[in-house]
Amino acid sequence: MYNLFHHTASVSRAARTLIAVSVATFAASASAAEELTVYTYDSFVSEWGPGPALEKSFEATCQCDLKFVALEDGVSILNRLRIEGKNAKADVVLGLDTGLIEETRKEGLVQPHSVAFDALTPVLKWSDKDFVPFDYGYFSFIYDSQKIKQPAQSLQELVNSSASVIYQDPRTSTPGQGMMMWMKSAYGDQAEQAWKQLAQHTVTVTKGWWEAYSMFLEGDADYVLSYSTSPAYHQVAEDKSQYKAALFSEGHVMQVEVAAIAANSEKKELANRFLEFLISQEAQEVIPVTNWMLPVRKGVKLPEAFDTLIQPKPIELTPEYIAANRKAWIKEWRGAVAQ
Amino acid sequence: MKLGAFTTGKWAGWPALCLVAAATALAFGGLIGFNRSEFDWSYFSDPYFLAILRFTLLQATLSAVLSVALAWPMALALSYLKDSTHKRAFLSLCVLCFVMPTLIVITGIISLLGRSGSLSPLLGDDWNLYGLSGILIAHIYLNLPFAVRTLYLRLQSIPDASWRLARQLKFTRAQRFWRLEWAAAHSATWLLLGFIFVICFNSFAVVLALGGGPKATTLEVAIYQALKYDFNISEALALAWVQLLIAGSAFLLVSFCGKVSWLSPASAPAQLRPPATGLEQLAYRLLYLCGWLFLLAPLLALTPRVVHGDVGIEFWRSLSRPLLVTLGLGVVSTVLSISLAYSALRPYRRARMQQSPAALWLDWLTSHSLAVPAMVLSVGLFVLLLPHLDLDHWGIWLVAVINGLITVPFAASQLKPALLNFDSQYHRLALSLKLTSWERRRIEWSYMAPAIRTAAAFVGMLAMGDVAIYSIFGNQDFVTLPWLIYGYASTYRLNEASLASMVFLGVCGLLIFYLEKQSPRHA
Repeated sequence: MYNLFHHTASVSRAARTLIAVSVATFAASASAAEELTVYTYDSFVSEWGPGPALEKSFEATCQCDLKFVALEDGVSILNRLRIEGKNAKADVVLGLDTGLIEETRKEGLVQPHSVAFDALTPVLKWSDKDFVPFDYGYFSFIYDSQKIKQPAQSLQELVNSSASVIYQDPRTSTPGQGMMMWMKSAYGDQAEQAWKQLAQHTVTVTKGWWEAYSMFLEGDADYVLSYSTSPAYHQVAEDKSQYKAALFSEGHVMQVEVAAIAANSEKKELANRFLEFLISQEAQEVIPVTNWMLPVRKGVKLPEAFDTLIQPKPIELTPEYIAANRKAWIKEWRGAVAQ
Repeated sequence: MKLGAFTTGKWAGWPALCLVAAATALAFGGLIGFNRSEFDWSYFSDPYFLAILRFTLLQATLSAVLSVALAWPMALALSYLKDSTHKRAFLSLCVLCFVMPTLIVITGIISLLGRSGSLSPLLGDDWNLYGLSGILIAHIYLNLPFAVRTLYLRLQSIPDASWRLARQLKFTRAQRFWRLEWAAAHSATWLLLGFIFVICFNSFAVVLALGGGPKATTLEVAIYQALKYDFNISEALALAWVQLLIAGSAFLLVSFCGKVSWLSPASAPAQLRPPATGLEQLAYRLLYLCGWLFLLAPLLALTPRVVHGDVGIEFWRSLSRPLLVTLGLGVVSTVLSISLAYSALRPYRRARMQQSPAALWLDWLTSHSLAVPAMVLSVGLFVLLLPHLDLDHWGIWLVAVINGLITVPFAASQLKPALLNFDSQYHRLALSLKLTSWERRRIEWSYMAPAIRTAAAFVGMLAMGDVAIYSIFGNQDFVTLPWLIYGYASTYRLNEASLASMVFLGVCGLLIFYLEKQSPRHA
């Protein structure tokens, strides 16, 4: 606020430069730490998310100041980068997923990294030059087994049922986008009709994962779109075993969450070190029990709760295919649900 | 003391007028000049577009009709009740409800009727606030008081002679209604319908917070989503044009039909109105009581959560910065808005004093931005400035400046009557006393002080409650109180939302206290 009044719009260029230089000098003398700005989504940096712990252990070795900027959800990060263009302040973008990789790359919003992938789990078959995976999971509908004795066995069954559902907006969130791919792979050209049917018993479509999941826990819906790993959170953190993921016969869309160095970043080396740290043993042990996803590194020890999770068969969609169709799918979705 | 040609003399006030007009022109430049992608006509046959257009018109029409229909019996009841402190308080509350930051009302309504709301159990299992029902409730709450007050003032203006005549001719109750009350207020009724339609057509915060997903999206929200969800500028612009065409033409239509005067203080009640008897009197009292309950319920709903709200010191600390940002924005916007309005009215006053026909269009020029929805103006400027300006850095200033600009018509409408009064009373006197322009200006200001205070409270409240402009230009480093409340309300952290709303309400209460304390010298 002080800033707001202190700053008058009519300061001449020379004076502004002078102020900038003096402020910079002052800031530099105050702390020699380099700042690394990371764009991510809100639940990643919440007090029980991985953000705080990762920040602490990375800052212990890097002599830098890690600064998280929290946005609603994965797709919002991409939108934000597009809007800001050359003015983006991010050094690292963390929280995009496989569905957005191709578009982000095509728009020139990221630059190549030099991270080695030897330690990654072979399940991912990962070799991307721009993006580094930091966790993965399968989109799933979570329900409360104390309330629902006979969960839906397939996506089609859920769509045809009258059970109340909450999912996320595909324009802003990666789970919503996953839902779109799921519907497309299950229904193909019939997806529009299926969306309309689902809209009949949709409680609401939220902006991000966080809102949707909070609403579900408040008891507002029978099913919420989340991840196959979500039940592990309730078992480990809350000692509750009633929340379960429904196993669907069509298979489940797999999500790999990725991080990358922003195109504008001048701290390439530090950003690269942060990406290396993300797939280090240390970080990979933190992420599953804070972000509640599966680790991308081989041989990470997980709590026993993870053994009880469903093992879905993955639906494979290539990033190129998604990038080519995403806009059309979104149009189809919004046209169907706005009726 | 010569202050230059632009402060006194023939050209006084023109820079301000030009600035107001230039902002609109620039926004249009942004809307027209964006050619990166071809204008997509096929968009207008997109089922999504048709669905939101239909919904926007539906909710605005329903909101207007319901608000006015419910306002009529309330206004009648008020006109038959004796003047009293609580009745005056009720009329002040009507002003407060209309200019109160929307997010406070929304939080209150969610506390009452949301999923864990205190009244929700009474509404059955199928009750869902989110969607059309929530939007209508909020819109009625925000606009009904305005309609009540306007109709009441019209009913109060029925001359005593008419009541005397009605008494002599032994009119029945129905005849009294049709020949006196309806006759006095029917033009205001149509105007109100039009005005409330436009206000609800342009409503943003209510739809954003209570829409509950794509089923209940309006054009205004769709513009924001096209820009912020898809960064699809051509779609945002296509929507903005539609929004401007409909809202703008509806507004122009309404403003050609007349003016709604509703802020003027309540005049003394007509003495000769036949007293209501028996059942009628009882009905009026019940209506009046319902009115009180309706207006207070959402505000009172905030209190239990405030009393039991279990938040730490950390929360209060996190509130201080948004509060300061909001106050700062309010101050900057208000100063800008009042000075622009004051200055831009000078050419109009000159024209009035010289009986010049230019007065009419000068008046229109000062208030023209009323016809341009805030969202359209913001998106136009956003598109125009994006390539040239670091919006992250300057965004918050733009929020303040655009809020200042779009509130100029409100400020002008508050200042104009007092200024014209001043001119008619003192202009000749000032000339004959050969006062210097500086002395004259001082007298004018001291005369205008109450009107300026009223206008400032009014404009400050509008600027502080803004969500639409902030949603386009705001950023995380400068979160405002309404945006913070929206964040809490949309993640169902109602305790925090209520506490923040209460603080905000306190600030607004102080302002309205000023607004209503003014002596009714001129309104």
